[in-house]
Order: sequence, then structure tokens, then C-alpha cells
Amino acid sequence: MSLKIVVCIKQVPVSNNLKIDPVTKNLVRSGEAGVMNPYDKNAIEAALRLKEEWGGEITLLSMGPPDFEMTLRQGLAMGCDDAVLLSSRQFGGADTLATGYVLAQAIKELGNVDLVLFGRQSVDADTSQVGPIVSEFLDWPQITFVSELHSHTKNSMTATRLLENMQQKIEFQLPAVVTVRSEMNEPRYPTPRNIQQSYKKTIRIWDENSLPVDADRIGLKGSPTVVRSVWAPEKEAKATTFLKGSADEAVRELLIQLRATNLL
Amino acid sequence: MTSQEIWVYAEKHVGIIQPVTYQLITKANEIAGDKKVVVILFESEDQKLEEAIKEYGPDEIIVVKDNRLENAMDSEIASLMAELAERRQPNSILFGATVVGRSIAPRLQAKLNTGLTSDCLDLSFDSDLLVQTKPSYGDNIMCEIISPNHRPQMASVRPNTFEAKKSSSKTVEVTEINDLTFKEAARVKIIEETPLISKSDSIANADRVIALGRGSIDDKELALAEELARKLGAKIGVTRPLTDHPRFSGEDQIGQSGNTIAPKILINLGIHGAVQYTTGIENAELVISVNKDSEAPIFNYSDFSYVGNSADFLKEFLKVIQ
Ligand SMILES: Cc1cc2nc3c(=O)[nH]c(=O)nc-3n(C[C@H](O)[C@H](O)[C@H](O)COP(=O)(O)OP(=O)(O)OC[C@H]3O[C@@H](n4cnc5c(N)ncnc54)[C@H](O)[C@@H]3O)c2cc1C
Ligand SMILES: Nc1ncnc2c1ncn2[C@@H]1O[C@H](COP(=O)(O)O)[C@@H](O)[C@H]1O
Repeated sequence: MSLKIVVCIKQVPVSNNLKIDPVTKNLVRSGEAGVMNPYDKNAIEAALRLKEEWGGEITLLSMGPPDFEMTLRQGLAMGCDDAVLLSSRQFGGADTLATGYVLAQAIKELGNVDLVLFGRQSVDADTSQVGPIVSEFLDWPQITFVSELHSHTKNSMTATRLLENMQQKIEFQLPAVVTVRSEMNEPRYPTPRNIQQSYKKTIRIWDENSLPVDADRIGLKGSPTVVRSVWAPEKEAKATTFLKGSADEAVRELLIQLRATNLL
Repeated sequence: MTSQEIWVYAEKHVGIIQPVTYQLITKANEIAGDKKVVVILFESEDQKLEEAIKEYGPDEIIVVKDNRLENAMDSEIASLMAELAERRQPNSILFGATVVGRSIAPRLQAKLNTGLTSDCLDLSFDSDLLVQTKPSYGDNIMCEIISPNHRPQMASVRPNTFEAKKSSSKTVEVTEINDLTFKEAARVKIIEETPLISKSDSIANADRVIALGRGSIDDKELALAEELARKLGAKIGVTRPLTDHPRFSGEDQIGQSGNTIAPKILINLGIHGAVQYTTGIENAELVISVNKDSEAPIFNYSDFSYVGNSADFLKEFLKVIQ
């Protein structure tokens, strides 16, 4: 038997000049070009390496508007086998809890999944919540912020988890959820052959009717958090002192100032 | 009925309470009003970490002692916390936005079916409502997030956002609880823990930091910067593009998707000053920046600015402090 891996990926805006919907206060994503969340590429790379080692099948899973297909296509071009897009108006406005719930239901629906990989966090929302939430809903072990992953047998692995000031080695058996740091690997570029193949693959679109979901737990309704206000912080410029002259004059002036304040 | 308790999860690594825990207790005390600040501490039987926590003056410390807590997994902590929360119904629960906090909190959130806001930069109460200020996309946007209909209200807070202050104004009640169910996580265990002579930890907690950007990264200049760092007892941090350099990694990165630093002195060399970077240095006390472009936005965040070549500046600096 080979491995059945799911990689959850998200599309994020390319630029940080984003728009905010004045009513829902959510980011307006459509119309804005998107790219794959960079950490999710590391998760895909990890999946591809496990597949090379043990054989198997990699399914990409994403929840978002129809234009997220573009990112799924890109993941297929890296060499993944299959993709599911969870897309429906009913799913819209989801916070991390409602997102995690739907992703977990989809993973159950896919069935017999051995390993679910996530990026460590998305670079737009920056929450790193979705992986652990899914893991809880699946009632599986989670190994987060992983920088190294080694498989010993098809279903037993060792992960290195990096914390701020220590490193843990964690042994685990599948099924499990792993969230991947960029230190783990260098994501591959799609080969021309894989790009070509990716256009032959169909991306399955699932909505709330394709899955057993509780209507109260999806979309806005299933989201406990409410964005009360949004603003662009204005930073007041510090009053800066320009050090003048040549580099050595500037350094001398600086040191006089620093010594005066006992900082050096 | 939810109680009027604000909980702070006490994070410890190899027997040491992490600074973010003290920062959270101080902040919770400041915003608590007549709510109670309660620290939740899981420790092994021979530990007495509550003594250190007491100095920061929470109202109560709930201590759960169990030797299995030495190397507990996220899901084990989350289920103990969930059981406690169901008993006491706290108003809110705060975590540090550290790797551990960011891993346990969402798991607990899912168990309690409530809201969680990650990586907050500010917290306040609007009567019973915890108002959580969170940056989003590139720290360009700030959002105020609330969970009006769910309790507890959960948040994780970026380390070094608040200052920790000792406080002896209260007597601290210590409550030992030993009848929780330890739900052992199946199929997973920690087999080794090694403290890192951590780069990230040391820039986050360093008193002096030299930060290098894309304008200051040739090998010669790096050697100069390393020498100056040695002389000043400073740590070297970098902007995101430099994490690709073989000498550095994500652990050395300063900024929104890296470390928030709070040094007494920060020297920025060849750094443009993108918001994603500058959010990471807002708590630096004295900022010195060198950039060859007189219009570089980094100067708006600096106390002292020098328009010129950063390698020349380094060379002169080294000469002068011989
Ligand atoms: C979601 C997101 C998250 C991000 N998170 C972070 C983050 O956490 N941290 C981070 O740093 N960035 C982050 N970034 C990237 C950020 O937007 C900038 O691209 C980055 O900070 C630029 O780095 P830099 O200033 O080193 O490089 P550049 O923008 O290339 O600037 C180099 C500077 O060096 C100056 N210079 C060149 N040569 C010299 C010389 N000889 N002497 C003196 N000055 C010289 C130039 O004038 C220029 O100002 C993020 C971006 C996004 C989209
Ligand atoms: N809408 C989504 N669809 C699929 N995966 C997601 C989605 N949002 C987040 N993820 C996954 O969860 C990880 C953490 O995201 P976040 O919790 O938003 O920081 C990402 O790196 C993705 O792997």
C-alpha cells in the first residue's frame, strides 16, 4: 500500500495594496492577482518527496473563490495528482474555525488519508491556526512548524520541530497532520511535462452539497470572530538627526551622542 | 454564566517560564478592571515554577502537576485546558504567539468552538468584550477583532509587544488541581529536546542588534559587520531577502513574518525600510540607519541617519571603537 497525502494550499494576494470590502470588512480577493502561499510550496515539495520514496497519491485541497483554481493548477504542475477546490458562496466569509471545519470534512470525505500537510502559516492572514484546527477536528496528532521530516517506514516518521529556543525530535505514526517550515526543503519548479499534464487534469469543485457539513458551522455563520474595524496604521516619522560629512565624521559624531546618553 | 477570569497560559521551555508569559500577565493586570487574572501552569511534580510567576502579581495561579507534562504534546495540553475551561468558564484565554502558543491555542479553540485571534499587537476590554488588534497583510492593515457571541475569547500575542513588570501589590492565590483527565496523545511522542543556542531567541531578546539588508551583504561587508557585532556584543539580524543567504535563515529575520525585536540599540545597514520590516523594530529604543539613498523610508524610523555607503560606515566604526 502506498501513501495517500493531502496538501492544503491557499492563494494569497501578490501585492499588499489590497482592498477591503466596506460591508463584510473582508479582503476583496477576486480581481486581484494571486499566488500560492509560499510555505504551501514547501508542503507540496515535502509531499512529492514522500511520494517518490513510498509511492502514492497527492491531492491538493483549497477552500476559496473560483480563481483559486490557478494556484491548484500550479500545484498540479509541480507534480501533484489531483485537486479539489471547496468553493461556494456559503463558504464565504469564513474565519479560521469555519475554514478548518470545511477542510476537515473534505478530508474525511476523501477517505483513507494518511497524511495532511499544511504550510506553517499563510502570509496574508498570518495566523497559523488552520493546520491545528483541522488536526483537532480529525482527532489526529499534529506536528507543527516542522523543519525536517524523515520517514522510516511507510507510516512511521520522525520530525524536527523548531521552537524559538529549542528543537524537538518527534516520532509519530500516521495518520497525522504536519505543518511545514520553509527550512524543510527547496520547492521544485514545474517541469514543462508536468505543466502540460496539469492541463489534462480536472479540478473537482465541491460545495456544501458535496460534503456532510452543518450549515451553522460554515461561512460567516460558522465564524465566531468578527472584524469590528479595519484601518491602515499611520506611522509618524521619528525626528531623525542626519549625521553629516564623510563616514568617519559621521561615526565620530554618532559616538559622541551615544556616549552622552551612556548607550555605549 | 462565564466567570470574570482572564487566563494566561504559562509557557515553559525546559523548566524556564518564557518571557512572553510575564508580558501577558502584566498586560492582563493592566486591562483587567475588576476581572481576575489567572495563570494556568502545567508542570512536573518536582517543579515550582509558580514561585517565579508570583512576582508578576496575577490574582491566582492554577497549577496542574503531572510528570507526563514534562514532554507533553499540543493535543494533551489542549485537552487539559479544555477541561479546565469547561469547569471555570473563563471570559478569555491568552497565549504567547510563539510556536507552542500558536499550536495549542487553535487546537483548544476547535475543542471549545470559539474564536481565536493570532498574533495580536494590542488588547483591551470594551466591558466584557475583548478587543483584539491584529495586523494583517504585511502589517499594512490593522484589524480590531471581537468574538461577540462566543466564550472564552481567545488571543495569542506577539512576544515583546508588552513590557513585563514585577508587581507585589497582591497576594497570589495558588490552587492545585489534580483531578483532570490526562488524555494521552496516541501515535506521537517527543524523543529529544535540544536547547538551541538560538539565533532567533537571541535577536528577539538581544540588547544590541546589527541588521543587514540587501544593500549590505557582500562577503567583505558581512565580515565587517560580524566583527563589529563581536566588539559591541551585538547579534546580527537580517531582512527577509537575506534569509536566502547561506549564512542566515528565517530564524535571523526581523519583521512581520520574522522576529519582533526590542534592543536598546539597533543599527540598520542597507535596509530600505519596507513596512513588513519596520513593524519588527518598533520597540527598538535607539535606531541608527545607514542607506545610500537619502529618500529611504528607513530614515523615518531612525534616531540617527547617515546617507552613504554602509561598508565605509562599518570600517570607520570599527576604527573608532578599537
Ligand atoms: C507578506 C510579506 C511579509 C514580509 N515579511 C517581511 C519580514 O518579516 N521582514 C522583512 O525584512 N521583509 C519582509 N517582507 C519583504 C519586504 O516587503 C521587503 O521586500 C524587504 O524588507 C526588503 O529588504 P531590504 O530592505 O533588505 O532590500 P531592498 O528593498 O532591496 O533595499 C536595499 C536597500 O539598501 C540600500 N543600499 C544598497 N546599497 C547600499 C550601500 N552600499 N550602502 C548603503 N545602503 C545601500 C538601498 O538604497 C536600499 O534602500 C515581507 C513581504 C511580504 C509581502
Ligand atoms: N482557504 C484555505 N484552503 C486550504 N488551505 C488553507 C486555507 N487557509 C489556510 N490553509 C492552510 O493552512 C495553513 C495556515 O494558514 P493560516 O492559518 O491562514 O496561517 C496554510 O499554509 C495552508 O496550508
